[in-house]
Amino acid sequence: MPPVQPVATGPDVAISVRGLTKSYGDFAALRGIDLEVRRGEVLALLGPNGAGKTTAVEILEGYRARDGGEVTVLGFDPARRDRALRARVGIVLQECAVDPYLTVTEALDQRALLYDDPRPVDDVVGLVGLGEKATSRVKVLSGGQQRRLDLGLALVGNPELIFLDEPTTGFDPSARREAWDVVRDLCAEGRTVVLTTHYMDEAQALADSVVVLAGGRVVASGTPDTLGGRDHGVSTVRFALPAGVALADLPLPTGSGAVVRGGFVEFASAEPTGVLHELTRWALERGEGLVGLTVLRPSLEDVYLSLTGAVDGTGVDGSGVDGTGVDGPGTGAR
Amino acid sequence: MNDVRVAAHQVRFEQKAYWRNPMAAVFTFAFPIVFLIVVGTTAGSSEVPGTTLRYDQYVVVAMLTFGLISACYTNLAMSICTRRETGVLKRMRGTPIAIGSYVGGLVGSVLIVVTILTVIVVAMGMAFYHLHFPYHPAAVVVTLLVGIVTFSSLGLAVTILVPNADAAPAIVNGIYLPVVFISGVFYPLAQGSVLARIAAWFPVFHMIRALVVAFEPGPGTGFRGHDLGVMLVWAAAGLWVTARRFRWEPRRPT
Repeated sequence: MPPVQPVATGPDVAISVRGLTKSYGDFAALRGIDLEVRRGEVLALLGPNGAGKTTAVEILEGYRARDGGEVTVLGFDPARRDRALRARVGIVLQECAVDPYLTVTEALDQRALLYDDPRPVDDVVGLVGLGEKATSRVKVLSGGQQRRLDLGLALVGNPELIFLDEPTTGFDPSARREAWDVVRDLCAEGRTVVLTTHYMDEAQALADSVVVLAGGRVVASGTPDTLGGRDHGVSTVRFALPAGVALADLPLPTGSGAVVRGGFVEFASAEPTGVLHELTRWALERGEGLVGLTVLRPSLEDVYLSLTGAVDGTGVDGSGVDGTGVDGPGTGAR
Repeated sequence: MNDVRVAAHQVRFEQKAYWRNPMAAVFTFAFPIVFLIVVGTTAGSSEVPGTTLRYDQYVVVAMLTFGLISACYTNLAMSICTRRETGVLKRMRGTPIAIGSYVGGLVGSVLIVVTILTVIVVAMGMAFYHLHFPYHPAAVVVTLLVGIVTFSSLGLAVTILVPNADAAPAIVNGIYLPVVFISGVFYPLAQGSVLARIAAWFPVFHMIRALVVAFEPGPGTGFRGHDLGVMLVWAAAGLWVTARRFRWEPRRPT
């Protein structure tokens, strides 16, 4: 790790957006967005394709002009494209935008020259895990390596604020974990990060706050753990049905809606504590265990899908009971 | 941050990228050199009417023009279209670089390429075809500089017509090859012919004529004010359109 570079402190708010609107012809891409990002915070912008994520981020980055509303980024209006603002912001686009005939080090050198106080290029190469590829030309890098170089290019200028547009798309699992560590380190250095992602586990792992866009509006915002009432949501209890026991023999409250699927009992409960107490006492008295017992809150993905209307009918209450969402890799367990 | 220093570094990186991409150099260097060898060995040594240059010597000047157009107009347009498509331009725009430093890097790199091209082509002409060292070297240099400005400007302007990188070769070459054909790059135009009168509307014809005069013995400085003027009008038009309509990002399907 390179030495931690303190970034300039100032007012608490890095980004402030009020009533942001933007239309393309007749299509209203943003219909009045409010959001706020505090310094040192990681904000994850979630939403289905066409929700307005990229439009919103590109307005913040200064690539697009807004139709209405107030936007302040590090104290600047990004639409004015001040050079002083661009010097303090790092941007990772979705495309790998690097000249294919330069080497990794050359591409970083070229970028570093544009800033007053760049990070040492060697440090950046190590930071994004391209040490072995430092003298390779960009065009021979794999897709994931090019994305990592992309991230390095955004970091070399020592930015206070970093925009990451789907930064780990195409990464293998270990590369994603490494990229997450980089983002966490940036945060620990006091930098502010705005990221868009399709991966709920990424938002869960990195974000201090989450904003969900759908149809050009903010449909929910909060921390990953409280988004959409996730912390008050219905939990799903699941365990293996003991041998020789019928579902009706279990000490479950009436109307629990419990079902047996593949030898596992599943039911939803808003207050699982009491139910579990009865269940575990029953099991201990019989001298049995509840094999594979899990209690899961709705995953961020479940909440997200219900918020953005991609789940048909059942919504948050149905989450998990259908099985697949709950058993997914880890997102619900946090 | 010093914009001039940044531009100088940009030139360095542009040069590295240029020489590592074999395709870019083919038309700029290989084509004029091969054409010079083929035509030079088959062409007669009769004088081109209206000049004091032999046909093979005329071809040297014409190929210098061809190479310069390839380096400025074609390569610049192609690389801008590719960079626009891959997001390199968008990305540059998100950094604190001054646009002038970026364009300066591009044009500075072209200047180096044209200098090398000029030395090679003129040296070949002198070595094999008894081309005399230009009688008006200052006029040659000025004409080449005006040519670089003109065809770089038109190379930037033509990118406005290109919707995506796949369409770039067809559009960029589709505009320039016909003009090159009718402008006397491959054979001298008959003076006063219909073709010559059409070609006179375009900058290529004027570039060749200004260069021929600068290479020939004769009184005065060898400057062709009228020809350079026509080229500069095209340069100004290209810059004007570019400043108004240049796109940093590819056209998006809506």
